[in-house]
Amino acid sequence: MSHDTDVGTNGEGSPTTDSRDGAPTGLRARLVGLWTLLHREILRYVRRPRNTFLPPMITNVLYFTVFGVVLGERISGNDPNAFGGAGYILFILPGLVVLGMISNAFENASFSIFHGRWNEYIHEVLTSPLSHTEMVLAYVAASSLRGIVVGAIIWGVGLVFTPVTVANPFYLAAFMLVIPTLFAAFGVIGGLWARDFDYLTVMNQFIIRPLVFFGAVFYPLSALSGIWRQVTLLNPMVYMVNGVRYGVIPEAVAVPPNRSLLVLTGLTVAVVALDVELVRRGYGLVD
Amino acid sequence: MTAPAIRARNLRKNYGDVQALDGLDLTVERGEFFGLLGPNGAGKTTFINTLVGLVHKDGGDAEVFGFDVEADYREARDRIGLAPQEFNVDRFFPIIEVLEHKAGYHGIGSKEARRRAEDALKTVGIWDKRDTRFDWLSGGMKRRFVLARALVSNPDLLILDEPTAGVDVQLRHDLWDIINRMNDAGTTILLTTHYIEEAERLCDRVAIMDSGSKVEVAAPDDLMARGTDTIDLGLADPPRTAPRLDVDGVTDVTVTDDGLSVTAAGGSQTAPELVRVLERQGHHVTSLDIRRASLEEVFVDLTRDDREYAEVSA
Repeated sequence: MSHDTDVGTNGEGSPTTDSRDGAPTGLRARLVGLWTLLHREILRYVRRPRNTFLPPMITNVLYFTVFGVVLGERISGNDPNAFGGAGYILFILPGLVVLGMISNAFENASFSIFHGRWNEYIHEVLTSPLSHTEMVLAYVAASSLRGIVVGAIIWGVGLVFTPVTVANPFYLAAFMLVIPTLFAAFGVIGGLWARDFDYLTVMNQFIIRPLVFFGAVFYPLSALSGIWRQVTLLNPMVYMVNGVRYGVIPEAVAVPPNRSLLVLTGLTVAVVALDVELVRRGYGLVD
Repeated sequence: MTAPAIRARNLRKNYGDVQALDGLDLTVERGEFFGLLGPNGAGKTTFINTLVGLVHKDGGDAEVFGFDVEADYREARDRIGLAPQEFNVDRFFPIIEVLEHKAGYHGIGSKEARRRAEDALKTVGIWDKRDTRFDWLSGGMKRRFVLARALVSNPDLLILDEPTAGVDVQLRHDLWDIINRMNDAGTTILLTTHYIEEAERLCDRVAIMDSGSKVEVAAPDDLMARGTDTIDLGLADPPRTAPRLDVDGVTDVTVTDDGLSVTAAGGSQTAPELVRVLERQGHHVTSLDIRRASLEEVFVDLTRDDREYAEVSA
C-alpha cells in the first residue's frame, strides 16, 4: 500500500511484523474493510427501491386485499376464536412478513454473489485483503437487513388493514432477526452453487415459496388433522411463522417458541460457518 | 535479507489433463520492472491468478514480499494492485465509487479513499467520467480505469496482465508513462504482454514461459545477444554460390543480389572476422550492415525450440 514503509523481515527474509499505517492486520483497517463491503451491498439495493422494496409492498397490498378483506370474513365464519381471537388479516400478517423476509434475504445474497460471479466483478472482493469471514459477514448482514426492512414494510402495510398490538416484543425482534439472517446465509450458498440465473429462480420459486405457503401462513395448525398435521410439523417454516406470530397473537400459536428460536439460532450459526468454509475453499469462486 | 517481491518455487496447477503450471520457479526482485512473455496457454495468467487468490495452486509455494499467497493471503493481497486482462468491474456503481470501495477493502478510510480515487482517475486521465458507470466508458477508457483501480490502493506490486491489449498507440504510450512513473517511485511491476516491443522497451528483465514453466529469464538485451543476428555484406563482385566461411558463430550463408547475407550468433563480434575471411578469399567488401535479432525472434526461437523438444520427448 505504501512505498515509504517496509515489511519487517527476520534473518531468513520471511515477514515478522507489519508496521504500515492502515495495514489489514490493524483492527480499524479490518473494520473499515468489512464496513466498505457491507455498505456497498446495502447501497446496491437501497438505490433501487423500485426493484427491491416496491414489489413486496404491492404484493402484500394484494394479499391483504384479497385474502384479508375479500375472503377473510368468510374464512373466519362466525367463530370469534377462530384465529386466537384475532382477525384473519392479523393472523396471516406474521406469515406474510416471514415470506417477505425469507424471499428477500435469500434473493439478495444469492443474486449479489451470483451476479458478481457471472460478471466476474466479485474478483474485486476476492483479490482484496478482506478475510473470508469478513466477506461472508458483509454479504449475510446486508441481505439480512434487506429482509428485515421488507418485513417492516409488510408490517406497515398490514397496519393499514388491521390494528396490531405487540404482545411479546422480545420474541418478535428475535425471530425477525434470526429468520432473515438464516436465509441470507442460505442465499450465500445458493449464489455460490448456481451455474446460471435459472438456478436462482428454481430455489426461490420451487423450494422456498412452497415451504412457506405450506407453513401455516394462511391457516392455523388446528385446521389440519391426522397425518397432514404431522407432515406440516416437519416443515421448518411452521416454526418460523409461529415464532413471529407469537410476538403479536400468542393465543393463536400451537408450537412453543423457545425451542424454535434456539434451533434457528444454532442453524444460523452453522450455515454461516458453512458459508465461511465454502468461501475459504473457493467453492464456485476460485479455479 | 529482504524477501523478494515475488518468489515462486515448483509451482504447479492442473486443469484436468492440462498442466497449466508445471513446476514454475521464478523470482522477481523488489523494484524490478519484470516482463512475463509466452504464447497463449503458457500459464502466465494462471500464475498471476495464483498470486492474487483466484486460482488454488496444486503444489509448490508462492510468496509476495515474503507472505505466502494462501497462508498469509490478506497480507499478500494488500500489497498487490491487479489490472487484469478481462474487464471484471462492478457495474452497479459510478467508477469513482468503485475505486472508493476498492480502497476501502484495503482498510483505507472513506475520506482518504475518496482522495485516492480522485487522484487515480486524474492520473489515468478520466476524471471527467468519474460519475459514469463502467459499461458506458469507451474501450480505451475502460483500459485506463482498470489501471486506476490497480493504483488506488497504492500497491507495492503492480500486476498488469496485457494492459495495452487492443488500445491505440497514443493510449499505449500514456499507459507506459504511468507505469514507468510507478516503477520509478519504487513499485515493483509484473507485466505480461504479447507486444514484444513493450517488454523490450519497459522491462529490466523478462521471463519467457511456455507450457507452464520458465524457459528463460534475462534482461532483454542479454536475450537479444543470444539471438541470431543477420549480417548483410555488399561485395564488389557477388559470387554465384555461397562461399565456405569458417568463422565461429556463423550458421548460414546465402547469396543476395549485391553480396551475401550471413546469419550468426553475436553479429557485432563475428563481423570483423567475417570481413577478414572474405578479403582473404579475394572478395572486396563494399558495405556491411548488422541487423540484431529482435526479442520477438528470440522469443519465437525459444518457445519453438521448447515445443520441438517436447514433441521429440513425447
